[in-house]
Amino acid sequence: MSHSGTGPVVSFENVSKHYGSLKAVDGLSLELRRGETVALLGPNGAGKSTSLDMLLALRKPTSGKIRMFGSDPYHAVKSGNVGAMLQSGGLMPEVTVRELVTLVAGLHPRPVPVATTLRRAGLEEVADQRVDRLSGGQTQRVRFALAIAGESELIVLDEPTTAMDVETRQRFWAQMKEEVAEGKTLLFATHYLEEADQAADRILVINRGRLLADGTPAEIKSRAGAKQLSFRLEHVNEPFLLGLPGLVSLDVHGDIVHIQSSDSDKTLYAVLDAGYRPSDIEVAGLGLEQAFLAITAEDDRAAEDEPAAQTTKQTTRSALR
Amino acid sequence: MHGILLLTRAEISRLRRNKRYLLFTVGLPVILYLIVGKQAARVYGVSFTAYYMVAMATFGAFSGALNGNAIRISEERKVGWIRQLRLTPLPANGYVVAKILTSMVTTILSVVIVLLLGRFYGGVHLDGWKWVVIAIVVWLGSTIFAALAVAIGYRFPPDQVQPITILVYFVFLALGGVWFPLSGALKTLGQGTPTYEAVKISTDVIGGISVPVGLPIGLVVWLAIFVGLAILSVRSMAESL
Repeated sequence: MSHSGTGPVVSFENVSKHYGSLKAVDGLSLELRRGETVALLGPNGAGKSTSLDMLLALRKPTSGKIRMFGSDPYHAVKSGNVGAMLQSGGLMPEVTVRELVTLVAGLHPRPVPVATTLRRAGLEEVADQRVDRLSGGQTQRVRFALAIAGESELIVLDEPTTAMDVETRQRFWAQMKEEVAEGKTLLFATHYLEEADQAADRILVINRGRLLADGTPAEIKSRAGAKQLSFRLEHVNEPFLLGLPGLVSLDVHGDIVHIQSSDSDKTLYAVLDAGYRPSDIEVAGLGLEQAFLAITAEDDRAAEDEPAAQTTKQTTRSALR
Repeated sequence: MHGILLLTRAEISRLRRNKRYLLFTVGLPVILYLIVGKQAARVYGVSFTAYYMVAMATFGAFSGALNGNAIRISEERKVGWIRQLRLTPLPANGYVVAKILTSMVTTILSVVIVLLLGRFYGGVHLDGWKWVVIAIVVWLGSTIFAALAVAIGYRFPPDQVQPITILVYFVFLALGGVWFPLSGALKTLGQGTPTYEAVKISTDVIGGISVPVGLPIGLVVWLAIFVGLAILSVRSMAESL
């Protein structure tokens, strides 16, 4: 193994990628440590794919520096330290699944036995079918097989479970957990937030090319305002509600009030102390999805308001921390 | 190098299954030679059977190098296979090198078959070294079209590659005197084409005429131009695979 130090497996140092005036990635800095399973979350166009492309030496950063296993991305990829599966990656036509996996394993300095890879990717039954005659889910599994056809210390997966049904997806993650149990580092981008919640021990949220949040799933959830407080209240006084302590966001539909609060107890007491008697009180933790939406929505709002509403930006930021 | 050879082997086994490709590179030249090859005329100072033998060898090799590669490269770029390969330890230029090696292995097959046909069906008798020189000229000449195929395949999407390839194919084969010997104005026009140069070097060797130095230089210049174009295409598409 070429790299067994304690340094980061991957580091982005103030990395940017600009296309004309579009900043696809804008000053991204992050580090991945050995053995971590990291989910990369972000809405479409957030810069996820561009970041992965730069990590995998498919694109060059406009500025900044990316290091992987102590070298530049190109040499890290060519020395077989990275197994990757991209949405945009395709398969060689006119060959069978087994032939293709055999070829890619052969290109790797530390090939995994083809039979093992086929089993891990759940491809044994279609091994002798031609790759251009497979279903979407099967094609996706072949892409995965190519990513694990060699022994690589870092595995990078871009939306690995798209086009898989629920059962296959669960099997996929069970398999993946086995893979990374050997001390491998896994970085994956996903749209399925529950997947990030279950599989990752660290989540990176990116939006508009910047890193917005970095923490465990629990930390990300708490960062967006820990709790969702809902109740019914006749004759709602919105200015009063907006002044409540701990309030992160407010949503009123008729007499139904939804509040995201960083301290739901304090918020509720303040409502009661003011003499209100709301009914149907519910307090719930935010799911990762709501947390994610809250974080990116705040960021988008901050971007739109720039620079007029500097103060709101400040308050929302502090509420997020 | 190990990886490039592995990929080349996989590419060859793919091509072997491709009937359309085999028809163009081997089938068509053989059929045309069987139909047209035996005529009493003399062309370029040699018998028609000898001329048509080198013409068909050039036809198979050059069209195989072009047709076999341009559309496939473009399609493989479109489906993302080139991108996928860039994620493997195969060196960045490994894909193109393997394509050209594959093309050279498969065109030698077509060249040898047509020359054997000329010898045993057409009754062309030559000194041993002449066979070798002809085979090498046509074979190496076809790498000019392999380079052109890379230039086109990398640059254009499949639906544009098809008409571009057909155009290039007809212009170079017709003007190069591959389907019929050139004379008059057509000859003046076609003399500079790599296909003409490959055929004419071969017929000069067969006829025992000293080969004008301009002909091999012409082939090298064409190769340099198309390799240059291929490098430009590959570079400019490096980030949009």
